[in-house]
This record gives sequence, structure tokens and C-alpha cells, in this order.
Amino acid sequence: MVFRRGSRVEVFQASSDEAWEPYMNDFIGAHGVVTDPDTSINDPDDLIEVSLQGKGTHRLPQDCLRVLDDRQGEPS
Amino acid sequence: MAQNTCPVQSTLQYLSERIDSGVLTDPRVRRICESIRMLVEEISLGEAGDGHMPAIDELMAEFETINPNETAVKTRQALNQAFTEHREMFVSHIESRNCPTHDCGVIAPSPCQMACPAGIDVPTYLALIAEGKDAEAIAVIREDNPLPWVCGLVCTRPCEMMCVRGRIDTPISIKFLKAFAAERALSDRQYKNPEPAPPNGKKVCVVGAGPGGLSCAYYLALMGYAVNVIESLPFAGGMLMVGIPRYRLPREVIDREVAMIEDLGVKISFNTRFGMDVTYEQMIEQGTDAFFIAIGAHKAWDMGIKGETDFPRVIEAIAFLKNVALGDRHAPGKRVVIIGGGNVAIDAARTSLRLGAEKVTIAYRRSREQMPADIEEVEQAEEEGIEFAFLTIPTEIRGDGDVITGLACNKAELIAKKGTDRLAPVPILGKDFVIPADAVISAIGQYVDDSGMTAFDKIRWTRRGTIEVNHASMETSMPGVFAAGDAVSGPATVIEAIGGGKRAADAIHRYLNHIPQPRMPKIPVRRHKRPMIEMTASEKMRLTRPSMSMLNVDRRRTTFQQVELGYDEEAVRKEARRCLRCDVCRRCGKCVEVCRDKMGIDALHLGYLDFDHPVKTDFRLTSEKCITCGACAANCENNAMVIEERDGKRMLKLCGTILNEQDIQHCEACGAKLPSAQYMAFISDKTADVTKKSDQRLLCNHCQRKLSARIHVSTRPVKNQ
Repeated sequence: MVFRRGSRVEVFQASSDEAWEPYMNDFIGAHGVVTDPDTSINDPDDLIEVSLQGKGTHRLPQDCLRVLDDRQGEPS
Repeated sequence: MAQNTCPVQSTLQYLSERIDSGVLTDPRVRRICESIRMLVEEISLGEAGDGHMPAIDELMAEFETINPNETAVKTRQALNQAFTEHREMFVSHIESRNCPTHDCGVIAPSPCQMACPAGIDVPTYLALIAEGKDAEAIAVIREDNPLPWVCGLVCTRPCEMMCVRGRIDTPISIKFLKAFAAERALSDRQYKNPEPAPPNGKKVCVVGAGPGGLSCAYYLALMGYAVNVIESLPFAGGMLMVGIPRYRLPREVIDREVAMIEDLGVKISFNTRFGMDVTYEQMIEQGTDAFFIAIGAHKAWDMGIKGETDFPRVIEAIAFLKNVALGDRHAPGKRVVIIGGGNVAIDAARTSLRLGAEKVTIAYRRSREQMPADIEEVEQAEEEGIEFAFLTIPTEIRGDGDVITGLACNKAELIAKKGTDRLAPVPILGKDFVIPADAVISAIGQYVDDSGMTAFDKIRWTRRGTIEVNHASMETSMPGVFAAGDAVSGPATVIEAIGGGKRAADAIHRYLNHIPQPRMPKIPVRRHKRPMIEMTASEKMRLTRPSMSMLNVDRRRTTFQQVELGYDEEAVRKEARRCLRCDVCRRCGKCVEVCRDKMGIDALHLGYLDFDHPVKTDFRLTSEKCITCGACAANCENNAMVIEERDGKRMLKLCGTILNEQDIQHCEACGAKLPSAQYMAFISDKTADVTKKSDQRLLCNHCQRKLSARIHVSTRPVKNQ
């Protein structure tokens, strides 16, 4: 999965990464926007910064995220 | 999106059901439950204070003393469970006046504030800037971020990514408005520190004077702690100073804000390396009660290509930028190649150009679309003449003696690997080429330099080489040692480091005062609720984000002068007025639904309400169909949508924007206020089947009935049977 700045994403599952903490279980199902992808697009071992709607901005492991259709977010 | 119910709201609903259904027959139980309901309701409305939870605890204790019936026992158990399991959420509602689940509608958070890693109350300070109150705006920002001017120039602005106005046209220029307010407040001598608490006799050692360390030191100093910051560089700022070039962030900006922090009594020991010049044991002997580690990520990764270690002019970007920040003004070479695609690569390239390099090329192994650098930075680099070699994989640095002659590269193509849609750059056979160069700068990422950290032997490190912490409290696995910033997250953003430092300060305070640490990261605090600014719908729609004035390209190529020159005052005030005030309207969509589905009018064109599927929004179109019936306002829980009567006009306003404005009509007979002509026509049409339409006279219901009665009596007198 390639994450770019501005990509709309969904937290679709708990991550198997050590960075996943119990409070993040509340994030599953949340939608958000990638605000800072990792600098090497995208090393699966790196965390990326995501602003989740109503959940704040967090650095999340990439295996818990999937990209939603980017066009969904465009104003018509 | 995630549908988590707010425990405060569900407790309120549960209590209301129990009380209203009449199952609580014992009068004492009923009184206790009603009192608790009142307190919980105030919590959900953001009106609660410090005494609310103790008051609930007292009532629950009283509840325990009663020997009630089975129903009351069940109620007590349920309440006990709610207040025990979700106590943090109740406390969070009281402290932050924010409900992240949006269930407590009145205190639903604005997306920009929630998106900010430091949780700055963006709508409040934008409103203050719009009112021309720059110093007050800065005071609000500094409650969550001690470096507003710095962030106003270099923040990666996740707030703007989530800005709801961006779903209509373009996001509010939140970042630069902050910089303007800070500069103006400093210029007016109004940029002031809050009054710190009296000294509490406790000492904290902060390792690293970067944004995370400074932020933690600032909030600890405000709480009365003696803070000693250990910094290996001769100045404060960390990566702000040595990682971000001055054409983006002038040194004076950092110096001014650091000086404000020092004015609070924070002592910074410069040129002091922790673990060498000063040790953990020495700090403990001096009475240090807690440690905060914010050492950043200052080591560069190796490229792993041939020739990397053979030439003196193969330079790490991070070391290059640091040397320039320390005063080195020599060009790295005439033909410089930078390897990498992030912001550090762009910074190194633009810095090389300013130092006199004749040709600067950025070699990146993926496509332009996949560059992680800020698009604005990339565009500015292109304007200045930096060249980009995309889909280029460096293979060898070639040279003659110790002089570099070029960088051998492979042309690459992006190919999807099995089982993933991640496109990986793969060299194309036979497509080798050499980029002529006499200096190569690598900018492929950094990691944490853990030298000097040996005394913190109980700290656990992640497999990424970062410090492992509990993110809710920033505690490491070593008691009394906390950490944040790039040392925890890996190379990340300034605002994340600031947010982490602030959270750590709070956690250190809790630790030293034996207060339990939170289970969840704290949610942002709503600092104030500013009045909304009135403007017409056409003005709201017409306002556009101003364009940034830039230094001319010739000057940019030769000096380190600030590139972005900023907005003028008029543009700033207008831009701040463009804010939609999402701290008031929570975009629940009830107004749109009632107007469209219940009234059948469909006047509200508010397509931006849906996060995932925004459609066209135009505030100006409302007046075409709106009949000012007030159904939207009556259904708005947050008073974002209101009907207001003033100066002979009746107005429908959404967060201050006048969506519709009509003259108030009066009854011809008694002078009473009437609904709008459109509304009366709407009602006449709806009731046409049962009531004959009146003539064109404007009459209130009362006078209309009187008139009907007169006609009835005079024209059809009741005959006696």
C-alpha cells in the first residue's frame, strides 16, 4: 500500500506492530487523512502520521491502514 | 467511521430512561438519581467544574447506604460501572470541554483542533486574529504550543489537511495566520509569558533543547518546576536550528521564542553532552526528580553504495545543514547531486544553490508523484532552478583520487511486487547513466543516536531504534524517565515533538505528585468560545485564500533571506474570517435533513458536511428557496443555525453567516410581527384544502380568525331552532 500526503485512509484492523497500543483499538473503523508519510515512501517498518476524524493525529503502523478512493474527498 | 458511544452521553440517556419511566419508586433513590443526572448533563454540556466528580462520588456513596429494591440495585450497579470504567472520559469532558465521539453535540471538537498533534484551539485563535486581537490569539496558542512563530513558518499543518473549508474551496491558511499574529504580538511588545506557579522545589532534567525538550521545559516551568536543559549544541532549537534552513525559518524567530522560555527560569546548559560532560549520576546527586529525553534523530543512514566512504565530498545532508547553520558558507561543490526525496533533500538542494553551487540535481528513485516532500517546497525548488532526476537509483560514486567526478545511476521503473500494491523501483537493464557531480549529499533518512544514553539502562528500545514509550503518558520503561520527539517517533514533525513534550510535562507532573497516568492520550482542550463574526453569504463564499508573496528568485538563489514574505494585515483579517467555526457547527446535518425532508424546501446547500463524500456547497443559494421558517434553527442543538430579528429584518444565520434575510412584516390590523411572506404562502398552500386562502391582506392568525368570525356571524347568522 502506498500512502501519500492527503490520501484518505481507513483504520481497518489492529496492527501486529509493537507500536499498536490498546487504546488504538478505538481507532478501528475511523477514517482520516495521511498528513505525513514516511520519507522513503513507504517503508513498511516506518510509522506514518494520520489525522483521524474525531480521534486526533497519530503515528500509526501501515498494516492497519488502507487507502480509500482518493477521489471521494474531492469537492465536486 | 468508528461509532463509539460516549460513556457520558450513554450514562445520561440511561439515567433519563430510569427516571422518566418511573421504575425508581423509592423517593431517596429518585432524588439521588435526579441529582446525578443533572451533574452528568452539565458534564456533557461542557459546563462542569472540578467539583462535579467529587459530588457524583458523594451521591454514589449515599446511594450505597440506602437499602433499596431490586430495580434500584440494578441502577446503582450500572452507575457504579459507568463511573468506574469510564472515569477518565468524565474527567476528560470536564477538563477539555471536548467530546471526541461527537455524541455530546454541544462540545463536539473541531476537526482542525483534533488534527493538531499539540491540540491547539484553532477556531478560537482564528476568531481572535479576525478581530485583530493578535496578542490574545498568541496567548491561546501558547496554552498548547510554546513556539507559535516557529510553527507559523514550518509546521506541516495537519490542521489544514482536515480543515472543513477545504471541502468547499481551499483550507484556511492556519499556519501563516499564526506566524503573523506572533510577529505582530512581539512587535507590539504584547507577546508575554503566563504567570508561572510558585517554585515547588522539584527538579527535572531535560535532555535536548529541540522543540520537544523546549515544550516540556516550558510547561514544567509554568507548573513551578526547576528545569535544567542539557544541550550539546551551542544554541537551543535542535533540528529547528540545524535541520531547517534559515530561508524557511530565520534564526531570530527561534531565538526570540527560546528567550521567552528562558525568561520563565528554564536553565539551558549549552555545549554540554549528556553522558559525557554531565552524567546521570551527577544529575541525581543534584536532586533531579525526573528526566525527559528529547534527543532527536540526528544520525544519517548509509546509502550502501560503492564509493560512499572513499571521497570527502560525500556528505550527509543532516551534517551539511548543521554545518551551514553553524556558519559554514562554503559551497559543497559546483555540481551537487542530492540523493533522496523528502524535505531534507529539498532543504539540502536549496541550501547548496544558495551557497553558490552551479548545478544542483535531486536524484530520487521513485516518481515525482511519490515524493514525500511538501509540494510547496518542491515547487519553490523548481522555481529556483533545482533539477530533478526521477526514477533514478544511484549505484556508485565515481571519482579520480579523492575528487568525485560523477554519480553512476540506473534508470528505474516502478513495478508492483507480489502480494502488495506497493510499487517498487526496479533498475532497467542497460539503462545506466552518470550524473556529473563533484559533491554528493545523501538525504535518505535519519535515526536516533543513542550514545550517551547508557545510564538509562532500563529503557526499552523499539526495533526501529526509537525509545519505547506508553503514548498516553510518554513514560519509558524506566521509572521517572519520560521521552518524546523524534527519539520516540523517528524522524517526524515539529508539531508532533511539541505535542509530545507537552504531554510529557503533564505526565511528569502526575508522576511526581503520585497522580495515576491516563489510559488514553488526552484530547484537546477548548480554551474559549469566541462570538461568531457576522457576514453575508456572498462575502463568505467570495473570500479566497490569499496568495503568498515570495522573495524574487534572484535573491532566493543567492541569499538565505526568508522566502515567504507573508500576507499583509488586511489579507490576514479576511483569511481568518473565512473560518467556518466548526467548533460551533458540528456538521450533524440535521438542518439539511429537516429543510429537505420534513419541510420539502431543500434550501440548504451544505454539501461540505460529509467528510467522505463532500459535494458542492454554496451558502448564497439558500436565500433563493429559504422561507425563514426556522425549522433548521429549532433542530440545531449547538445554536449554530439561528433565526435572528434585527432592524426590521429576520435573518437566518449559520455560524454568523447570513444565509437569508427578509423584511419583517406586520399585521395590518394589530401590528403584530408576521412570518415572512414566503412562509405565509407556504402555509397557505399546505392548508389550502382545509382553509380558504385569505385575500391579499396581511393579517396575523388572531386577526384572521376574528375576521372569519365576523364574516361568519354577519353573513350566516345562526338561526334559532
